[in-house]
Formats: sequence, C-alpha cells, structure tokens
Amino acid sequence: MAGERSLGARLLARDERALTELIEIATPWLLGITQSMLSDRDEAEEVVQEAFGIIWNRIHLLDPAQGGLIPWLLRITRNRAIDRLRARKRRRSHLERLGSLTSPAETVTPAAEPNEAVHPGWHVHETVHAALTGLPDDQREAVRLAYFEGLTHSEIAERLGIPMGTVKTRLRLAFDKLRIALATIKDWVV
Amino acid sequence: MNPHRWFEEHRTAYVTRSLERDEMTTFSEHLAGCAECREAIRTLEQELAWLPMGVAPVTVRPGLQRRIVEHVLGNNQWRWNRMTTLAVAASLLLAILTYGIGRQQLRSLDRERAVLAQQASIRQNRLAALEDTVSVMRGATRILQASFQMENRDGGLLIFADARTHRWNVVVHGLPPAGPDQVYQFWFIEKDGMVRGAVVQPDSAGPTFMMMGMPPGGGEVMGAALTVEPMDRQTTEPQGKMLAHLML
Repeated sequence: MAGERSLGARLLARDERALTELIEIATPWLLGITQSMLSDRDEAEEVVQEAFGIIWNRIHLLDPAQGGLIPWLLRITRNRAIDRLRARKRRRSHLERLGSLTSPAETVTPAAEPNEAVHPGWHVHETVHAALTGLPDDQREAVRLAYFEGLTHSEIAERLGIPMGTVKTRLRLAFDKLRIALATIKDWVV
Repeated sequence: MNPHRWFEEHRTAYVTRSLERDEMTTFSEHLAGCAECREAIRTLEQELAWLPMGVAPVTVRPGLQRRIVEHVLGNNQWRWNRMTTLAVAASLLLAILTYGIGRQQLRSLDRERAVLAQQASIRQNRLAALEDTVSVMRGATRILQASFQMENRDGGLLIFADARTHRWNVVVHGLPPAGPDQVYQFWFIEKDGMVRGAVVQPDSAGPTFMMMGMPPGGGEVMGAALTVEPMDRQTTEPQGKMLAHLML
C-alpha cells in the first residue's frame, strides 16, 4: 500500500490508473471485512464495489486530517456492510412474521499466502489481530458483535443474555484497550 | 446525571455505530452544536481507523477487480450480463427443484445439487478468469508483437493493452526452460527508466498467459521488454540478454 498519499492526489486528479491500483491493493482486505460481516460472497462484492464508487465520486471530500484514504475506504465499507446487515434484519423479521426464513452462510476463503509481499498492510493486520486476541474472551466477543456484526447494545445484550449495562462496560473496557494498542499504527500511512 | 455526561460516555458507541437508531439521531444532533464532542469523535475515528483490518484478507474471485473498475467508471455491461446469466441459472435451478418429486427424492437431489453447485462454482470461476482474459484482448486499444529466437526456437511476445482498465494481457510463446540460476524477466519501460514486471514462467505445453496491472507510482509506461536475468540479482535495470523490446 505504499504511496497512498500520492494515490489520493492522483484520484483527485481523476487518474483512472490510480483507481485500478487502489482496487488491486485494497479489494482483498475490503472483501475480508464484508464477507466476514455479511457471510455472503455476492453481497460482499457488491458492497466493495459500492465503496469504490463512493471513493471515486467523492474523492474531493477526502480529509487527510481524518486519517487518509485507506481508513476512509475501510470506514465506508464497514458502514455499507452494517447498512446491509440492518436491512437484512428488517427483511428477516418480516419473513419470520410470514413464517419462512432461510439464511445460507458461505465459507470465507482466506488469502492463499498471507504476508506483506502478497498483501501490503499485512503488518497492520497483525497488530490489530494481536490487539483483539489480547482482549479477555467476554470483551472480545462483545467487540466482535458490535464492530464486526454491527449489533447495537440492546441486540448484544439480547444475544448474550446479559444486562445492557454489562454490555456497555465490556465494550468501554475493550475499546479503551484497543485504542492504546492501536496507537502505534494510528498515523500510519500505507 | 449531567446531560453532557451521557454523550461523553457514548462517543465510542457512536463511532462504532452501536447505538440504537434514535440514540444515533440524538447524538448526531448534539454533535452539530458541540465542538468538544466533534473533536473527541474525530480523535476516536483516527484511533480506531485500522480496526477493520483485524479481519484477514481473502482471495479475490477472477474478474472481480475488472468488474469493479468498469462499474465505477460507468461501464455496467459486463455486470448486467452476469446478472442476466445468474437470473437464468437461478430460474433453471428453481425449475429443477420444483419438478414434481417426492420428499425422499428431493433429499437425494439436494445432495446432487450440492455437488453440482460446487462444480458450477469451479466452472464459474474458470469462466470468469477466461472472461477476464478475453475482456482485455477484446477491449485492447493497442496490440504489440515482437519475435525472438532462443536456442534455435522461434518465439514471440504479444501484448494486448487495455487503456480502459489499465491492464495488459501478455502472451509469450516459444520460450525454452530457463537456464540454471536464470529467469525470464518482463520489464515495463517508463520515461525515467525500467520497472520490473512479472517473472515469466515458460510453459512447455503452450504459450504463457499473464494478466498484469501497470506498475505502481503512476509513471508513464512507454513500452515493455523481455530479458534473461540472473535469478537472485534484483537490479533496477536489465543486465542480461534482451529477447524482445517493444515501444507503444
């Protein structure tokens, strides 16, 4: 992911080749996120496609002070995936009322050769992964449900069968630790 | 409780979108008039910016990156075709499934369907890879060709350059196996020098096909070359024998 700043500048200059470079670099990561959240490969690909479309059409809104191109792309992608999950939940509850429900899950295929050479940014993944696995089980589970499955506090409380106050405490403790653990990569420019 | 205390305690939940819908609305309205919270939210977003990368990357299906480029740049033809194909496939599957058979037979069919779906998935991936290859050839805005001789064999380098998706499909044929400690190296020729592309693996059964994007950095690509290089020497300029040299 070297040269992200220049990628942003080139995208701003409507350089289509910069777009293909960004797509090549970021797609495996974005698909990892969306497939993990949505468990549906086709829908995950649609979300990634939408995210790149937003970046291309709104590149003039990129604010380097907000963390750069890739963090923006990650945020857009996650937000779109959460929108899909919540829309799916609404459909599901509607279908449940009709008495018919199917939700096929799909296996996520991890990258064949996970390393920095094949996937630029791999060391960021390792830092984040280590920060997540360093959390106590109950806090990690709360983060997984809140951040990677897009559940609200009340939905997590219902899912885990615990009071909402406990959910909030677990998440507050977990995110405090994550913020400290991720401080080393906060300003990293890919 | 101090009313502002609630917002302070729920900043992280706002950033991670864990609040209920009405709470999100309340928080957004508060943000419009609270500089302190806006600054805190901005800091939190930066601190957690890389958290999504806790999920490992996955292998991208053949053709997806091309579809994304075409979609973003406003050419939806391939996506439409794919959607149509999927719709037809789904209709056929539905027709088969709804065929008047009993429950026992249906279970057996389900097993067969799983096997067929797996085979179809493999074929779909192959088809997507082929479609991806052909798309570059079909959409090529430049086609370049060079011949060479290697160990008394006639060989050639053929480049289909697609300016729309900024990718090349490179075909190399007639290459004998590389000598010991040697590799066939593909180079991009840029205005300021040469940039290493892929290492070409000769295929004894036929031509070698390679799909490649332009080198990173945005330098203007003016041509390409194929050379024989020492295996472990990563020089920035070719050192070995030049087999082919093409200028756009």
